[in-house]
Amino acid sequence: MAAVATEVVTPTRMELLKLKHRVNLAQRGHDLLKEKMDALIIEFFEVLRRIGEARKSALKQLSLAYRALSVCSAVMGTIETRQASREAKRELEVEISTRHIMGIVVPTLEVERVERDALTRGYSLHTTPSVLDEVSKEFEKALGLLVKLAELEESARAIARELERTKRRVNALEYILIPRLKAALKFIEMRLDEMERENFSRLKRIKAMLEAGA
Amino acid sequence: MSYKVAVIGDADTVTGFALSGVSYTYVHADKDRTLAKLAEFMVSEEVGLVFITHRIAEEIGAEFRRMMRAKKLLPVVLRIPDFKTGYIPVVDELYELIKRTVGAEIVVRAEEG
Repeated sequence: MAAVATEVVTPTRMELLKLKHRVNLAQRGHDLLKEKMDALIIEFFEVLRRIGEARKSALKQLSLAYRALSVCSAVMGTIETRQASREAKRELEVEISTRHIMGIVVPTLEVERVERDALTRGYSLHTTPSVLDEVSKEFEKALGLLVKLAELEESARAIARELERTKRRVNALEYILIPRLKAALKFIEMRLDEMERENFSRLKRIKAMLEAGA
Repeated sequence: MSYKVAVIGDADTVTGFALSGVSYTYVHADKDRTLAKLAEFMVSEEVGLVFITHRIAEEIGAEFRRMMRAKKLLPVVLRIPDFKTGYIPVVDELYELIKRTVGAEIVVRAEEG
């Protein structure tokens, strides 16, 4: 189905030239965006692959940590465990900065040293059993892995957003703008041909008249 | 820049994370108050990373998804499984994201490593 040119187009050679130029530009823009889209898709799947791995190890470690917590609650008592968690030092800091992939802003998350030794955790050592140290250690390990996972998942989301945006622009060019321009182009070419044929037959008639009159 | 970490979960999950040094903890009680707390974390200048359990995120529902779509780069929000292990969310958000973005169904093969 041909696209209908809906704007008013004056069928002149000047317009023809201008339109050809616009089609050219739109086509180049479209091709560039398509390349960007392909590059983004590759990057997206690479990040997804890393997420798959990061999830596996983070979740495995997390379930180890939860298990240690069960043991600790059984040994120490749930209330005492929660009390100890309130006494622990809770000043963990994550270093967050941004970087750019292909023009997208993507976060990087780093923890300096999640794993602490028993002395620096904050709860009193002689009133708590060693199982508490186990729990803390397992959760500290889990945290490190979860921070990396968070970075990856957030990056995936940022890439997906940009992908969607780019895809929409590619489609707008390919299915709306360029067909419209090409239809206008065709219209002008047809009209110009028509006018030339009219001209030609007019000239022939005039010539015939002149010859007959002379 | 340095940021603190927050966690929203049930009492046990929160206890575990507190022991590893997480600064801000919140035990989920009901939908409205948890939403308010989450909103607090989202605007806080100190908090850079928020952990929230799948179960609670699902319970909060549409409002949570709306907040995630509207949010800026920080804080980073990660959904985690809770203490009652083995809870797989009904809808894997990442899978849905892939479908929407690439426009095709990608079947992920589980690779045993």
